[in-house]
Amino acid sequence: MTTPLVAADAAELPGPRIERNRHAPIVRVTHWVAVIAVLVMAGSGLRIFNAYPAFHRKGQTFCCYPFEGRAVPDWLTFGGWLGGARNWHFAMMWVLVVNGLVYLGYVYLRGEWRDLVPRRGDIRDVTQMVRFYLFIRRDHPVQGKYNALQKGAYFAMPWIGVLIVLSGIAIWKPVELAPLTALFGGYVWARYWHFMGMVALLGLAAGHVFMVFAVDPYVLPSMITGRYDERFAPERRNGRPFYHLLPRWAQSSSPDPTPPPSVSPPNPQ
Amino acid sequence: MADARDLERRIAALTERIAGTHAGRALDRRRFLLAGGGTIGAAFLAACGSRGPKSAQRILNYAERKNETVERALFRHTSMDVAGKHARDAGDAFPSYFIAPSVPVWDAASGPWTLEVSGMVAAPMRFSLADLQRMPSVTQRINHYCVEGWQAIASWTGVRLRDVAALVRPAPGARYVDFQSFDDDYHESWDLESAMHPQTLVAYGMDGAFLGAAHGGPARIHSPIKLGYKNTKYLTKIVFLPARNGGYWSDQGYEWYGGT
Repeated sequence: MTTPLVAADAAELPGPRIERNRHAPIVRVTHWVAVIAVLVMAGSGLRIFNAYPAFHRKGQTFCCYPFEGRAVPDWLTFGGWLGGARNWHFAMMWVLVVNGLVYLGYVYLRGEWRDLVPRRGDIRDVTQMVRFYLFIRRDHPVQGKYNALQKGAYFAMPWIGVLIVLSGIAIWKPVELAPLTALFGGYVWARYWHFMGMVALLGLAAGHVFMVFAVDPYVLPSMITGRYDERFAPERRNGRPFYHLLPRWAQSSSPDPTPPPSVSPPNPQ
Repeated sequence: MADARDLERRIAALTERIAGTHAGRALDRRRFLLAGGGTIGAAFLAACGSRGPKSAQRILNYAERKNETVERALFRHTSMDVAGKHARDAGDAFPSYFIAPSVPVWDAASGPWTLEVSGMVAAPMRFSLADLQRMPSVTQRINHYCVEGWQAIASWTGVRLRDVAALVRPAPGARYVDFQSFDDDYHESWDLESAMHPQTLVAYGMDGAFLGAAHGGPARIHSPIKLGYKNTKYLTKIVFLPARNGGYWSDQGYEWYGGT
């Protein structure tokens, strides 16, 4: 007996199509500009951090950082030296901010935030995704353009960005903009939130890159040319990290290279 | 018939060739992606720990000038730094840097220390330490913001630079002030507005004692509104200028404005 390839959920999928513009040009451009800006900001920021790789005020202690006084490895840094890194940091910050505003403005005006904003039921959807990735649930849940895990990440990243930018301004101008610095709990804490925001942002970005390559490498072109072939969607492949990277019809021994029908043929296994 | 079979064979060959090109293309794309990814990865690796491309220097300088415009627009004479009530003083943990190999100490053999105030001023003057002490003094418990990222609290005692300026009367064209030291070519020039901020002191006392050699004695410039490196130690000369005059640290590539 053959097991049905397409789960109940996947059967609800509309016929596969080739999207020509999965991500609007503005989204694509701002995505890659953000990649460069974030990498330069993180690298130069870590170089600045290495000049004083600690958070405590002189003559005091700091509660909440286990690596006080330990510099990060040089190869993680950018800018060469403190002054050079500062120059890069204070130049690239404008690129990061303007790029972020363009993206947020576009997403807001075009209503695309609806794909990203958390909703009631997302908790359940997250559980379903986690269960699926842990092999507890068999079929890939169908949750729209982005699944609940993606939504969580893509929704959090801009907000973490806002936290990073505001805390960064707070440590750039601790006297002229003292109220902002105070909002973060003072200079020491503003530096801490700035640093931790970077850690969180890079953590999410690393998870994002991992998932792109491990689950859905086919989306990579969609962020460059905009083209996305829905026949390769993880929902249709039942794709988990490093599982079913090839579409089911390509895994079959059939030499027939014709595109699959909207509902895939039975699994030969 | 033979012709038809021949045609069939040729079609089959053609199909194979097309399929072959497709396979080739797929391989090419993969190779292209690998090569592209490799190049980008190598570029990032090469960039790591580096100063970045040299050609970017002009853009960085441009950004620094624009940032200075923003910083000067944000500047307020009324924004004051206040050290947290519950925050502890740095005390002995207050770091000290000097450009000389050893702590520079005023050489008493060359005469008593004096502070010369000159340049574009109506009445150039020379102050002894006693002269400064006779002027109205200010003691402020404030933060010191180092370019490295640390912060240290101390109480500074001294004379407001604006009070000194009131005595020497700078000319209207004097838009910048250069603070020079007896420590070699160690100096920093400031914009006049920052120099006239009420928290900018010619400081001769720190934490209730006379300013020690480690922290720039007999007197130094100290203000919370500039990063530490802008606050010239071992002060001997204040010169009012029509144009900026760089500085020891800012000439090395730290931002010239260095405001907080």
